[in-house]
Amino acid sequence: MPGASLFGGWRLMERTRRNALLNLLALLALAYALYLFDRYGTDYQVRILNNMAIFITLAVSYNLINGVCGILHLGPNAFVAIGAYTSALLTMSPMEKQMNYIIEPLMWPFSVLNAPFLVALIAGGLLAAFFAFLISFPVFRVRGDYLAIVTLGFGEVVRVICNAFQSVTNGPLGLKGLALHSNLWWTWGVAVVTITAVSKLVQSSYGRAMKAIREDEIAARAMGIDPFKHLLMAFLISAFFSGVAGGLLAHLIRTISPTLFTFFLTFNLLIMIVVGGLGSTTGAVIGAALFAWGGEALRIVEQPVQVAGLKIPGIPGMRMVVFSLILMVVIIFARHGIMGRHEFSWDWLFHKVRFGAARD
Amino acid sequence: MSHFFRAEQLVMRFGGLTAVNDFSISMEPGELVGLIGPNGAGKTTVFNMITGAISATSGRVVWLGEEITQFPLHVIASRGIARTFQNIRLFTDLTALDNVMVSFHHKLRANFWDAMFGLPAYRREERRIKEESLELLQEMGLAHMAMEKAGALPYGKQRRLEIARALATKPRLLLLDEPAAGMNPQETLELVGLVRELRDKYALTILLIEHDMKFVMRLCERIKVLDYGYTIAEGTPAEIQNNPEVIKAYLGSQTHA
Ligand SMILES: Nc1ncnc2c1ncn2[C@@H]1O[C@H](COP(=O)(O)OP(=O)(O)OP(=O)(O)O)[C@@H](O)[C@H]1O
Ligand SMILES: [Mg+2]
Repeated sequence: MPGASLFGGWRLMERTRRNALLNLLALLALAYALYLFDRYGTDYQVRILNNMAIFITLAVSYNLINGVCGILHLGPNAFVAIGAYTSALLTMSPMEKQMNYIIEPLMWPFSVLNAPFLVALIAGGLLAAFFAFLISFPVFRVRGDYLAIVTLGFGEVVRVICNAFQSVTNGPLGLKGLALHSNLWWTWGVAVVTITAVSKLVQSSYGRAMKAIREDEIAARAMGIDPFKHLLMAFLISAFFSGVAGGLLAHLIRTISPTLFTFFLTFNLLIMIVVGGLGSTTGAVIGAALFAWGGEALRIVEQPVQVAGLKIPGIPGMRMVVFSLILMVVIIFARHGIMGRHEFSWDWLFHKVRFGAARD
Repeated sequence: MSHFFRAEQLVMRFGGLTAVNDFSISMEPGELVGLIGPNGAGKTTVFNMITGAISATSGRVVWLGEEITQFPLHVIASRGIARTFQNIRLFTDLTALDNVMVSFHHKLRANFWDAMFGLPAYRREERRIKEESLELLQEMGLAHMAMEKAGALPYGKQRRLEIARALATKPRLLLLDEPAAGMNPQETLELVGLVRELRDKYALTILLIEHDMKFVMRLCERIKVLDYGYTIAEGTPAEIQNNPEVIKAYLGSQTHA
C-alpha cells in the first residue's frame, strides 16, 4: 500500500512525540514571557497583553462557527454579555451589590449568590451555552442571510434586556467596582485552553463533519451527517468560551454596561477572523493579536496633529475607520486573509525549514 | 415484491409540473438495475425521493422491511442507502482523503469527549478510518491523490471520488447518478469493470442512472425507462433496445435537442 509509509509506522509515532515536546516547550516559553511581563512590564504592555488574550479566546471560538461550520452568526456579543453579567453577579460581594443597585434593588437569588472567580467564569460560560441551546432551535431552522438576521436579532435582544432588566443587570448604569481578578495568567490560561479545545475539535472526526457541512450540507447529509447535531455542538462550545471571555473582560475592565456588548463587538470579532483567515484557528489568533496591538498602536490617528502650523484636532473613532478600511481591503483584494484555511503546525514548520535548507 | 428494497407509486409534483408519476420498483439483494430516459424525465428526482433529499408528494419507500418514506436524508444514509450526485457535490476544499473519511463519521463509536481528550479508543478508531479510507481511494485509483483538494482533481477522478465517498458510508444499496458523465470512452470502459467489482466485493445492490447506452446495456441486468415522469418500459437490455416506445421517446427527445 503506497499510503502506508506516508501515514503509518514508527515515523508517525516519532513525529507525534516530537510535536508534543515542542508544544510543551512553546507553553513554557509563553509562561516565561508572561512571567517577565507580569514582573517587569509596564501597565500599558500588560493591558495590551490581557486584551490580546481575551480577543484570542473570542476570535477562536467565533471562528468555530463562522469559519469552520461556515455559518454567518452575528450574535456573539450576546454570549459575551451573558458571561460578563453572570460572573460579575457571582463575584460581587453583597455590599458592593447594594452600592451598585441604587435605583432598583437586585432581585433575590442574585443578591445573595457569591462564588469564587473560577466558578463564576465557568458559570458565565455555562449560562451562555444554555442560551445558545435555547436559541439554536429557531436559529438552525434557517441558513444564510436568514440565520445572520436571526442571530443579529438575538444579540440586540440581549443588549436591550441588559438595559431594561434593572433588577438584575442594573440597567444602563451597569456594574461598577468589580474586583480585578483577571490577570495575565487567567487571560492567557483561558486563551490556551480555548485554542487547545477548539483545535482538538476541529481536527477530530466531529470537526471534519462540521467542515463537510460548510462545504456542502446536502452532500454531508447524504453521507449520514446530522447537521443540527453538529452545528449545535459547535454553537454550544463557542458560546461557552465566549461567555468565559466575557467574565474575564468584566473582571479586567471592572466596569460593565450594556453599551459594551453592542453589535460593535461582533463587528470587531468579524474583522479579526476575516483578516486572520476565515476557518483557520491560527488565523483567528493572529487576527486577534493584530487587532489588540493595532488598536493601541493606532491611537496616534486619534491624537491632534500639527501639520505645517495647522492644528488638526483628534477625531475619536478614527481607529475604527482604519480597521473598517482594512477589512474592506482584505475582503476585496485578499479574501482568504492572512492564513486562508491553513493552520500552523510543527510539521509544516519543519517542512519549511528543511525545504529552505535544501535549496541553499 | 422484495422485502429488501421497494418503492411504491412514488409521485413528485413541483407546483404544476409532475416530475415523476407513479414510479414503482422492487430490487433484490445484489441486483444491478439501470434507470434511463431522456433529459428531464425525472430520473434524478426518483433518487432524491428514495434518499429523502426531497419528500415525495405521495407513495412509499420500504427498506429492509421498514417504511422510510418521510425519514430525513441523513437518517436514510445511515441506514445504508448511499448515492452520488449528477452534478458532482464533493467537499471541494477538503482533501480527497478527508472527503472519504467524513463518510465514516456517522458510524463513529467514540463520543465527543473521547475525541476531545484524544482517548486511545478514539485514536485507534481514527487510525482505522484513515486506513480504510486510503484503501478505498487505492481501489478507485486515487491513492496518489489522497492529499489533494477534491476540487483540484480532474473531472473523471472527481466522479470516482464521489463513488469512494459513498462506499465509505458502508451502504447496501448504492444509487449512482450518471457515474460516467464527462468520462472518455476509455474511462467509461474501466468504470464498467469497476462497478461490477465493487458490487461483488461489497455485496452491493446498485441502481444507476446513465445516458451512455453502451454503458447501461453492458452493465445492467434490468433496465427501467422513464419519460416525462412515466415508466414507459422495463426489461432486459435486449428487450429495451427493441422496445418501440423507448425508441420513440429517445428519437423524440433528439428532435427537441
Ligand atoms: N427541485 C425542483 N423544483 C422544481 N422542479 C424540479 C426540481 N427538480 C427537478 N425538477 C424538474 O423535474 C423534472 C425532472 O427533473 P430530473 O432532474 O429528475 O430529470 P432527469 O431525468 O434527472 O434529467 P437529466 O437527464 O437531465 O438529469 C425536470 O423538468 C426538472 O426541471
Ligand atoms: Mg438527472
